[in-house]
Amino acid sequence: MSDAVAHDPDFLAEEVRRYHHFITLALWLAAITGAEIVLIFLPVPMPIILTALSLMSAIKFFAVILWFMHLIYDHKLLFWIFMCGLVLAFATYSVLLALFSVDRIDTKWFS
Amino acid sequence: MSQAADATHAHAPTSTGIDHKKLIMWLFLASDCMFFGTLISTHLLYRKLYPTGFTDAEGHQQFIQKLFNIELTSFSTFILLMSSFLMALAVSAMHKGQIKSFRRNVLGVIFFGLIFLGCQVYEFTHFYHQGLTIQNSVFGSTLYVLTGTHGTHVAIGVLWLILLYFYSFTGKLTGHMAGLDVEVAGLYWHFVDIVWIIIFTVVYLVEYLGPSGFWGTGLPLAK
Repeated sequence: MSDAVAHDPDFLAEEVRRYHHFITLALWLAAITGAEIVLIFLPVPMPIILTALSLMSAIKFFAVILWFMHLIYDHKLLFWIFMCGLVLAFATYSVLLALFSVDRIDTKWFS
Repeated sequence: MSQAADATHAHAPTSTGIDHKKLIMWLFLASDCMFFGTLISTHLLYRKLYPTGFTDAEGHQQFIQKLFNIELTSFSTFILLMSSFLMALAVSAMHKGQIKSFRRNVLGVIFFGLIFLGCQVYEFTHFYHQGLTIQNSVFGSTLYVLTGTHGTHVAIGVLWLILLYFYSFTGKLTGHMAGLDVEVAGLYWHFVDIVWIIIFTVVYLVEYLGPSGFWGTGLPLAK
């Protein structure tokens, strides 16, 4: 960052605005983590808890990558590069889950 | 995007319009995403295939809910989230050219990172004393490899930030490239945080679901 840019009033105003975003986001992240811990001990049906946990985890994940990692302000290409990695990781899990979903393996192949 | 936001992310004239350092870091993070995706998948799949927890050296069945310490893990998660917040402030300070603020925030990140690592060392020691080793069960192997790899990433991040902190005293950490260097280090640190967000949910929290755990083999129902 050049000194000229660092002293630009618009730039400084933008940085102050982001500073407040970061504080708000940090509070939300702490609150969501607290809610996750409370949720697992509540007498609620498991599918509901699982869905809520997945949602809250996804919210925290995307909040960090979008604001803390600046993807919301940055070049769109960076977002899609990261999404490629994420989609491939999720696809790996899905494929492995499908492959190992057969619980009973035909043991004649191993005898 | 506003003009000010453009100024913050003003890039060197490259063919993509993105600084090469930043582009390379994002490509690395995408590949690391696949790496951690594989480790997490392996842990979950083996957790499903071998749901009975583990047996200690004396042959006693141990329950994973009793092994984990949810308070400690929650504290670690909170610490890592707050370190991510401080890292965002450090990057912002560097963009504004406020070197003292940058140093203060980076010291906070290093401190929180070291606390996280301390918690992990304590947790591993506790696991070991409960009879869980990397060799005596599939659960132990996948858990130690997954959380250990994440811990290694945190340790590398702490080392990187310590170097950056001392480098800032040389007077060379100024201008556009310095802002970029700090931002790239920040990206790495935030990535370590988001990986832990996933691990915390899918490895730790799910063990506490329902009276006998998500995998159906946790603590037996009280009679």
